[in-house]
Amino acid sequence: MTLLALEDVVIRYGQAVAVDGVSLAVGSGERVALIGPNGAGKTSVLNAACGVIRPAAGRVEIDGRVLTGATPAAVVRRGISQVPEGRHVFATLPVEANLLLGAYGRVFRLEIVSSTLRYLRSKRDVREQLERVYELLPKLRELRERPAGRTSGGEQQMVAIGRALMARPRLLAIDELSLGLAPLLVQSLAEFLVRLNEEEGVAILLVDQSAALAFSLCERAYVLETGRIVLDGASRDLEGRSEVRSAYLGGGPEDPA
Amino acid sequence: MTTFFQFVVVGISTGSVFAIVGMSLVLVYRATGIVNFAQGVFAVLAGLLTYSFVQHMPLALAAMLATLATALVATLVAVVAVGFRGRTTHLASLIITVGIAIFAEAVLLAAFGEVPRSYPAISDRAWEVGGVLIQPQYAVLALVALAAAFLLTLFLRRTIVGQALVASADSPRAAELIGLNLRSIAVIAFAVAGALTAVGGVLLAPTVPVSYSSGLTITINGFAAAVFGGLVSIRLALLGGYALGVLQQLVVGYVDSQYSLIIALLVMLVLIGWRSRGELAV
Amino acid sequence: MSAELAAQGRAARRRRVGAARVAALVGATVFACWLPFQLELGDVGLYDRMGLYALVAIGLTLLMGFAGQVSLGQGGFFLIGAYTSGLLTMGLDADTRLVDPQAGIDPLLAVAIAPLVTAGIAVVIGIPLMRLRGHYLAFATLAFALIAWSLLYAQDSFTGGQYGVTVTKRLVVAGHEITGATHAAVVWGLVGLALLLSTNLVSSRVGRALQAIAANEPAAAASGINVALYKLQLFVFAAAMAGLAGGLFTFFAQFLGPEDFGIIVSLLFVVMVSIGGLGSVYGAVVGAVTIVYAEHKLRELGTHETLLGWDLPSTAPSILSLGVFGLLLIVIMLFFPHGLLPGIAGAVSGMRRRLSRRSTP
Repeated sequence: MTLLALEDVVIRYGQAVAVDGVSLAVGSGERVALIGPNGAGKTSVLNAACGVIRPAAGRVEIDGRVLTGATPAAVVRRGISQVPEGRHVFATLPVEANLLLGAYGRVFRLEIVSSTLRYLRSKRDVREQLERVYELLPKLRELRERPAGRTSGGEQQMVAIGRALMARPRLLAIDELSLGLAPLLVQSLAEFLVRLNEEEGVAILLVDQSAALAFSLCERAYVLETGRIVLDGASRDLEGRSEVRSAYLGGGPEDPA
Repeated sequence: MTTFFQFVVVGISTGSVFAIVGMSLVLVYRATGIVNFAQGVFAVLAGLLTYSFVQHMPLALAAMLATLATALVATLVAVVAVGFRGRTTHLASLIITVGIAIFAEAVLLAAFGEVPRSYPAISDRAWEVGGVLIQPQYAVLALVALAAAFLLTLFLRRTIVGQALVASADSPRAAELIGLNLRSIAVIAFAVAGALTAVGGVLLAPTVPVSYSSGLTITINGFAAAVFGGLVSIRLALLGGYALGVLQQLVVGYVDSQYSLIIALLVMLVLIGWRSRGELAV
Repeated sequence: MSAELAAQGRAARRRRVGAARVAALVGATVFACWLPFQLELGDVGLYDRMGLYALVAIGLTLLMGFAGQVSLGQGGFFLIGAYTSGLLTMGLDADTRLVDPQAGIDPLLAVAIAPLVTAGIAVVIGIPLMRLRGHYLAFATLAFALIAWSLLYAQDSFTGGQYGVTVTKRLVVAGHEITGATHAAVVWGLVGLALLLSTNLVSSRVGRALQAIAANEPAAAASGINVALYKLQLFVFAAAMAGLAGGLFTFFAQFLGPEDFGIIVSLLFVVMVSIGGLGSVYGAVVGAVTIVYAEHKLRELGTHETLLGWDLPSTAPSILSLGVFGLLLIVIMLFFPHGLLPGIAGAVSGMRRRLSRRSTP
């Protein structure tokens, strides 16, 4: 069952075309990667999928329903959560508040009465989900009172992931998991994501500069260059191709030590 | 010596209004990144509305209705000031609020005329403490400012809505991704700030009659208090407001009353310079 | 070889276009200077004011367009320029002013000094000011204008306070009295000169640096451009223009009073720039003309007894002006943040593109 599908999506910023007819799909329970060099348009694709940007052309479908141009809140409600590039934790708020907001963010709309009712009704479920997230990421329980800005990079990444998980997503979209993190940490996060996928059934869409990470974590991958998908297929097959090896594996910049 | 304390007492009460407006500006800025140049208008509007309503109903009811009406107007201002997502920069929003402030002057002038309006204070009988006269109105103003600081801080730290406001400022991008609607956040922030400023205006009018043109000075004084807190600290805005009020009264009392606005402006300039000292010109 | 010739051809074409533009500008300026002598007496004053405000707007649009600095305080420099030329002309000692015919200096000298004074002040306050960003700068410039205006009242023995100062001496150059239509012609001549200088500026090395700063400040700084210095220069230039306009204003009104220099004047300059487009000096002129004309019409409208069936109060002129200008500022910033004219031009060319695309199969 296809969770997320992008069809011929075109994204423009003013006159410049950032994404030129991209199609991709993520099925439920899959782990899929989107790799490519800096500026290829990977974040734009994610933003279109998550309702942050409205594509100039093309369709975004979630569960087969056309949701092009929906608001981010609607996308979250349909089960897709994004962990943004650079983490973007709410620095002045404690970790637990960060997590709770991940659950409540989509609850609030301007209709005060209905929002309040929704908030009150969901409190118990949210508390339960909070406990689940603490079980999955025990470090966060230790840090629950700490202002999120005063945690390390790796911890912030966990906060961001936990925050996204609070919305009970069926698909977790992650933008640049490895950015600025030590390889060992990235490895343990990757292992966590695999467990999350296999045990909880959460699909993963990973956008990353590190093709090695992407291939090791995901079964399928798309290669995006200057706004177009140039290659796609099983990670195993892509890894073996010479153009991929030279451009993205071994030929490219090393992971930060 | 009693004159000195008299000035201080009056200063704390006028300073309370600056503090209230300052804290309102901080709230809006923290939630939206916008500095609301029209904040002072809310105080004036509430005062003038109370003046109108009080002709037909008891003061307390008039004040509440005026505050509510002002909060509603504030939500309208929010929508206009926030503008279009991605197209309207923070600076453009500031200029929009300048336009709103100008437009509001026209509306207030048309609706209420030129004459400054007022209505009776809470009580005419002043308390005397050690030779210093304290009007109950002053005391209420100072207490309201203090209470507001306390409640606002609580609101931002402990309630989910307040935290959502802070989150939007910490990272608008992430806030959007978890489903927060930035325009709704702005409306909430403006409404709360508008209501708070309205209360300040309602309490101010009995001591200093307000008219259509009072908004600018109130905004400037409030901004000076807010700058004391770097535009982000509620408590420092409170302190800054009191300090500015006292300083102004001392200057008015001991030097020359013509200089009260100039003093506020110079203080604001100094504070702006102090708060910007880390930033280089690029 | 042919590429070189092509490049030479392009450069020659640019020079021809440039020369044509300059000729057009000179022609337009000559026309603008001739015009006031053909206008009715009542309209000359309006025309003069348009030119004076245009001078201020030209300075401000460069500041806002290229340095990205919003100044809500140009009215302050305008005020300082006016009072400098006025008080120097009438004599700095308030007691002897109206009595001693020898008091004060030659008006021409006073007018020349006015922009120097404002420029000097701008250098002093500009150095700390140009460090500021966005809202801090807006409030700081506003504070400057307000302080200047408040000082008028606070030092009223010197400045004449709310009663103002009557300027009895006239501006005389080489035996000719510069009043009325002549004054307007001089003002518009200066506008033409300012436009000429600005267009020259844009194509020079300085202009290219300014373009770079406007496009991407950090990148410009990284490539070695002294951004702070350029911003300061633009600020000083804008102040000088406002000071010059103010200095000339004194001999247009022959009277100095606080009412002409309220805060709304500073804000109106921002509206003018918004109409014409940030950075566009021709747009600034259009903006100034539009606003002065609109203000005049609104004031006229406001003095009617009734409007659309409603009785108009005595404050109607103010209500209409404030209302319209406030609304204008809101609408422009919402829908045309780079300026009204550029926005409209963009929409028109966008429509033209769409229409031409449709006609091709």
